[in-house]
Amino acid sequence: MDPMEVFKIEVTGEEEFGAKKYRELIMDILQDLGLIRSIGRLYVYIDILKPFFAVYGLLRSGIPPLTAKDVGDVMQVAGGFQIKINDEEHMADLMKVLWERYGRERVDQSARDVVIIASDSSPADLVVADLEAEFLQDLTDALVRIAPEGFRNRRNEMTKDSFFFVAAEESLSPEMVSDIKEKIREMENA
Amino acid sequence: MLEPVMFTGGLYKHDLIVELVEDLGGYILQKNVAQSEIILLILIPSEDKAALEALSKELRGELTRAPLAGTETAVVTPTLAIHHLPHTACDIAEYLRRHGSKTNMLGLARGVGREIAQINEYETALINEHDAAVFIYGNFQECIKHKEKLYQNVTIPVVVTGGPQIEAKELPYAFDYVPAIGRVAHRAKKATEIGTLDRIVESVGLALDKTRATIAKDPLTTSPPRVMDAVREQVPDVEYSYSPLPIALNLTGVRIKLPYSQYRDAVAAVKFDEGVKLGEIATIRPSQMKEYILVRILPSSETGFVF
Repeated sequence: MDPMEVFKIEVTGEEEFGAKKYRELIMDILQDLGLIRSIGRLYVYIDILKPFFAVYGLLRSGIPPLTAKDVGDVMQVAGGFQIKINDEEHMADLMKVLWERYGRERVDQSARDVVIIASDSSPADLVVADLEAEFLQDLTDALVRIAPEGFRNRRNEMTKDSFFFVAAEESLSPEMVSDIKEKIREMENA
Repeated sequence: MLEPVMFTGGLYKHDLIVELVEDLGGYILQKNVAQSEIILLILIPSEDKAALEALSKELRGELTRAPLAGTETAVVTPTLAIHHLPHTACDIAEYLRRHGSKTNMLGLARGVGREIAQINEYETALINEHDAAVFIYGNFQECIKHKEKLYQNVTIPVVVTGGPQIEAKELPYAFDYVPAIGRVAHRAKKATEIGTLDRIVESVGLALDKTRATIAKDPLTTSPPRVMDAVREQVPDVEYSYSPLPIALNLTGVRIKLPYSQYRDAVAAVKFDEGVKLGEIATIRPSQMKEYILVRILPSSETGFVF
């Protein structure tokens, strides 16, 4: 079963096999990069004779930015605050933000996963990383990987809740892009 | 007739196998040591295979037939990018290796796309130095048919792989077409996928048999394993080559992994027991691969004798 609500793929000509395989391929790559849960609907349109490859997708609700309290447990201790880091993946980002906010002399990393901050203001709500920006970067990477190789002329339009990606061998003309968008709209309404 | 086999077993006492093969007039083509394990690719006279089987059983090793041993296959992908590697290309190359072939993976510089795909003269010449080539294509039949232009000038048999079902006669320049292995983003592990890899091996085997049959009509002056043995003995520097396989065997000769400019004369002067020099019965020229030496044994119709 598809984890997405809608996943349509259309290939011109007699390429049923190609359509079926691209479906598997897209699922494999999105799963590898851990993106599949964030995409709600996906429409793929491929014309191999022109040739171009287009994807339009709707994203699920936005991802909130990662704060210090998501990375570790923040506790008030004598002389300041202590963070016990649980998520080491973002440890470097957290240290960078703490140094910027409090200065290096007031941030003491006494153990690998324990940081003590000599300050009265709580670091709990400090933004450590913008996960949405990271997600969009990963998504672009996934789309470039999915598109057939050699389709080097690309256009990528990303908004908060959707993305449109088209890749072709020849230059992309505005008419071509609008035709593709029209086709995808038809797929959406079908 | 020499039969290609592969011995897999422990390193301990493996020299008994080597000695037996030499005593029986066979050849050790390749020796791969991995910690306490060893894999030997062997050519053995078919009438003496039972003796080797008995010894390998005694040593608790395994002896399997390696139909592609002594040949070199090029596994060609449109590029060496993530779209083709690692899964499809590596799976095919590895599977061919397990059947005894020496495989070289080759990514074209500009093989991508449909209309823009190209191959240059150097790449074609490099592929032609092998015994067979496997061209790995994708999932769209239009592209597979269109990209025939990449192997039109390749003179060795070409096995094309791709996703959809296409009649082999629709690809007149290919020796065979193996479907059901297009672009995939996971390793081949299902029974059907392994079955497809088996079909590729079978197809490459048939292609090599066809070449062997052509050679048999006008036999080579001497066999490539014999040249390999003589070169190994008389040009000892070859053992110091950093390549895992310093002398690679082809159906019509050998590739010696030593610099052409320094060793050409030494290779040409290699002498056989019959009193003939290698330079007299073979063409010795620089290989397209690095600066290696390519030896192509002349057929008996040109030299007038066979030994």
